Amino acid sequence: MRTGRVVRVVGRSLARLVPVVLGVVVAVFFLLRIVPGDPAAMILGERATPESLAALRAELGLDLPLWQQFLAFVTQVVTQFDTGDSLVSGVSTRELVFERAPVSLGIVALAVLLAILIAVPLAVAAARGKDGWVDHVVRILPTVGMGMPLFWIGLLLIILFAVHLRWFPVGGVGSGPGEPLRSLFLPALAVALGLAPPLIRSLRAQLLEVLDADFVTTLRAARVPERSILTRHVLRNAALPTLTLLSVNTAYLVGGTLVVEKVFGINGLGTLLFQSIGSRDFPVVQGVALYCAIVVVLVTTVAGLLAALLDPRLRIAPALDAAAALDAAPAIQPAAPDADPTPEDRS
Amino acid sequence: MTRTTSPRSRTRRRGISAAAAALAAAMLLSACAAGSGPAPSEAGADPVSGGTLTFGRVAAVNDLDLNQQITANNAFAIDKIFEPLVSFDESGEIIPWLADYEVDEAGLVYTFTLRDGVSFSNGDPVTPDDVVFSLNRHLEVGGPLPLTAPIESIEATGERDVTITLSGPYTPFLSELSGFANGIFPADFGGQTEEEFFADPIGTGPFVVDEWDPNGDISFVKNEHYWQEGKPYLDGLVYRFIADDTQLRQQLAAGQIDAIDTVPAANAAEVDAAADTVLSQTESWATEQVFFNTEREQFADEHVRRAIAHALDREGITAATTFDTAEVANVLLPPSILYSANAEPGIALEHDLAAAKAELAKSAYPDGFSTTLLIASGNSQRAQIAQIVQESLAEIGITVEIEQLDIAVFRERFFAYDFDFMLNSGQSDAPDPNGFITFQADPEGFSKSYWTHFTDERVTELMHEGRETPNGDAREAIYLEIQEILAEQVPYIPLFFPSNLKATTAEVQGFAVLPNGSVRFQDVWLAGS
Repeated sequence: MRTGRVVRVVGRSLARLVPVVLGVVVAVFFLLRIVPGDPAAMILGERATPESLAALRAELGLDLPLWQQFLAFVTQVVTQFDTGDSLVSGVSTRELVFERAPVSLGIVALAVLLAILIAVPLAVAAARGKDGWVDHVVRILPTVGMGMPLFWIGLLLIILFAVHLRWFPVGGVGSGPGEPLRSLFLPALAVALGLAPPLIRSLRAQLLEVLDADFVTTLRAARVPERSILTRHVLRNAALPTLTLLSVNTAYLVGGTLVVEKVFGINGLGTLLFQSIGSRDFPVVQGVALYCAIVVVLVTTVAGLLAALLDPRLRIAPALDAAAALDAAPAIQPAAPDADPTPEDRS
Repeated sequence: MTRTTSPRSRTRRRGISAAAAALAAAMLLSACAAGSGPAPSEAGADPVSGGTLTFGRVAAVNDLDLNQQITANNAFAIDKIFEPLVSFDESGEIIPWLADYEVDEAGLVYTFTLRDGVSFSNGDPVTPDDVVFSLNRHLEVGGPLPLTAPIESIEATGERDVTITLSGPYTPFLSELSGFANGIFPADFGGQTEEEFFADPIGTGPFVVDEWDPNGDISFVKNEHYWQEGKPYLDGLVYRFIADDTQLRQQLAAGQIDAIDTVPAANAAEVDAAADTVLSQTESWATEQVFFNTEREQFADEHVRRAIAHALDREGITAATTFDTAEVANVLLPPSILYSANAEPGIALEHDLAAAKAELAKSAYPDGFSTTLLIASGNSQRAQIAQIVQESLAEIGITVEIEQLDIAVFRERFFAYDFDFMLNSGQSDAPDPNGFITFQADPEGFSKSYWTHFTDERVTELMHEGRETPNGDAREAIYLEIQEILAEQVPYIPLFFPSNLKATTAEVQGFAVLPNGSVRFQDVWLAGS
C-alpha cells in the first residue's frame, strides 16, 4: 500500500521533528542565559538606577530561578506555540515573526529561483564544453565567489547597481506595486551568488556523468538531436541530486538571508534577530531560532520525501535514511551528494 | 539623587516673549543647520507646507512613556508628541515653551502661565489641571530623568496659571523642567489606562503617531491643532528604522530617504562634499572620556591617574579619530553647557612624557604595571582611541590589554564596577552644569561618580552649593573650581567634545539640531514639495 507507506513516512518525519525542536529549545534557552548581558540594562540605558534595574528585572521575570524561567518558557511554547512577549517592545514574538517572515521568505524564494537560473545554464555550458575555456571559467569563478563573504557581495552589489547605476533601491522594502520585488532583487541575488557555486559544481559533475552514460550513447546512436538529449534526458536525470543539494543548503539559505537583510537595511527576521541578540531580548531570539529551525527541518524532510517520490529507484524506506543523512551533512557540500543515482540503473 | 534644602538665595528669572524666542530660534537654525556644507536655503526663501519627510535612524522606537524612557531612540520620538512648559534653543538657552513664567525674589515660587490657545492634538485646550497631573505623575514615577528639585507643591492657581513651590532654592529647576520627560498630557490620561494612552498618546507636540511598529518604523502625521501658527510645515514624518549606518548613508545618497540621524565622524567630510547631501554639524552636550575605576588599587593612586593624563596626547587623539568634527576637551563640561571652563588656559594636564614619567615615579608603581581597558564593540572610533591609549601608555611602562565587549556585556560589567578603566562618554540632557556634574561627581548618586567611585569632599560640597546659588559670578566660580579639581585629580580624562553629526538631502530646509541631539521637526520643510 503506497499511500499507507507515505502516511507512515510523513508521520515518522514529523516525529523526528520533535527531538530536533526540543533540542533547539533547550540549546537556545541555555546558551542565551550563559552569555552575559542584562536585558533590563539594555532597555533602561546607561543612566539606569539600581532600583529601576531591579524593578524591571522583577517585572520581566528575570529574577526568577533559571528552572522556573525555563518551565514558563516551555509551557508557553507548547501551549501557545509562542516564545513569549518581546522584553523590549512588549509585542508577542509570534506576531513579530509572522509580520516579518514574508519579507525574509520572499528573499529565500527569489534567491532559490535566481540560483537555479544562474547555475543551470552555466553548468550546462561547462559540461558541454568540458575542459574548454567556458568550463575553466565556470569552475574557477564559483571558487572565487565562495571565498567572498555574503555581506561583501551585498555591499558590492549595492555600490554597483544601487548607488552608481541606480537600477535598484539601496535598501529597505518599497511600498508601491512591484516595489518589494525590485527591492528584494539585490539581496536575493547576493544570497543566490553564494548558493550558486556548489549547485554549479554538483550539476556539472552530474551532467558529465550522465553524458558519459550508456543510454546517452544509445540515444546519440539513434540520432536523437543533442539538444533533445540534453533537455529531455540528461538534465532531468541530473536534476534530482541538485534538488537534494539545494535542500541540504536550506540552513545556509536561511542564514544567508538573515545576514543580507542587515546589509540591505531590510526589516525582516534577520534584522529582528540581530537587534534582539544585541538587546538580549531573550523571547524574540528564542522565537526566531525556533521557527527557523522548524523551517529548515521541514524543508529537508519534504525534499527528502520529494526525492524519494521522484526517484523510482529509491524506495520509501531508503528515502528516509537519505533524509536522515542529509540532516547530518555539512551545509555546503561538494559534488556527489548522498542520494546519488548511478546512471547505469536507468533507461 | 537627593533633594536638598539649604540657605536661601535669590533667583530671578523673567520669561521673555515666546514668539520672539521662537523666531530667533528659527533664524538661528537656518543659519546653523547648513554646517560647513553648501547653504541649503537662500535667505528670504519662504517655507513651503506639505510633504512627508523620511528620517533614517539606527534604532526603533519601542516605548513612548515619557516618564520611563531616557534612551535617544525613544526620547526623540517622545519630544515630537509631548512638550514641556519650558524648553531650550540650539544654543542651550532656556526659553518659554507651553508657558511663560515668573520666579519670586527668593527663587522658591515659580508661576507658569499657559500660552493662549495651546491645545492637545485632539483639540481639547490644555488646562492647569493637565499640568498638575502630568508633573505629579512624573514625581510619582521618578524614572531615569527624575525631577530632583525640592518640590513642595504643584497647584493650579488660576484659569491658566500653575504655581510650583520649592522648599529650598534650586537653580537648575527650569533647566530640569525643560527635559522631554516633563511633557504635558491630559489629566487622568484622558480617561484611558496608562497602557492604552501610551500606545496612542495625545500631547501638544507638532506630530501625532499614525502607525507604529515597536520593532520597526514609526510614522507621524501633523498635529492640526499645534499652537505654533502654520507649523509644522510637514504633513507627515516617518522614522525609518535602518539598523546599519552604512545603509543609512547610502540610502540618503541615493535619495531614498530625506535625512539621517547619525553620520560617523569618518564619513562626515564625504557626506559634506557630496552634491546631493548636506551635513549638519552642531555642538553637543556630550564628552568623550577615559574613566578610571578608583576602587582598583592602581587607579586609586592619584599619581597614576595624573601620569596617564600626561601621557595621552588629547589633541592627537582628537585629530586622529574625529576627523575635525570634535573639539579637544580640557575640562569635563562641554562649551555648550553653562560655565564650561574649556577656554580657561592651563586647566588640563598637558601631554608631556617627562611629566608623566615623573608622576608615575611618585606613585606606588614607578616601573609601571599591567591593566585592562574596557570598551564596547561596534564603535570603531573607540576601538581606535583604545589603541592609541595602549601605545601611549606603553611608553611610560604601563601595559594595557584592550577588552572589547558587546554593549550588553559591557554595561553589565561597568554597572557592577567590574573594570580597571574604560572608554565611554558622558551626556547631559539640559544646559545647566548641575546635571553633568551630579552624574559624574556625586559619590552618593546611583552612578557613584559615573562608576568611578571618585569621592572628593570639596567637590561634593561645591556641587550642593552650585544647586542653590543663583546664576551669576558666584555660581560660575563654583563650577570653575569643580572643573579645576576634577582636572587636577583626574577620575576621568575628558578627551574631546563630539559634534552632533546628521545629514539631509539638499531639499530639506530648516533642519535644526538641538544640543541634546534631537531635531525640531516643526521647523523643517521640503523645498521640492
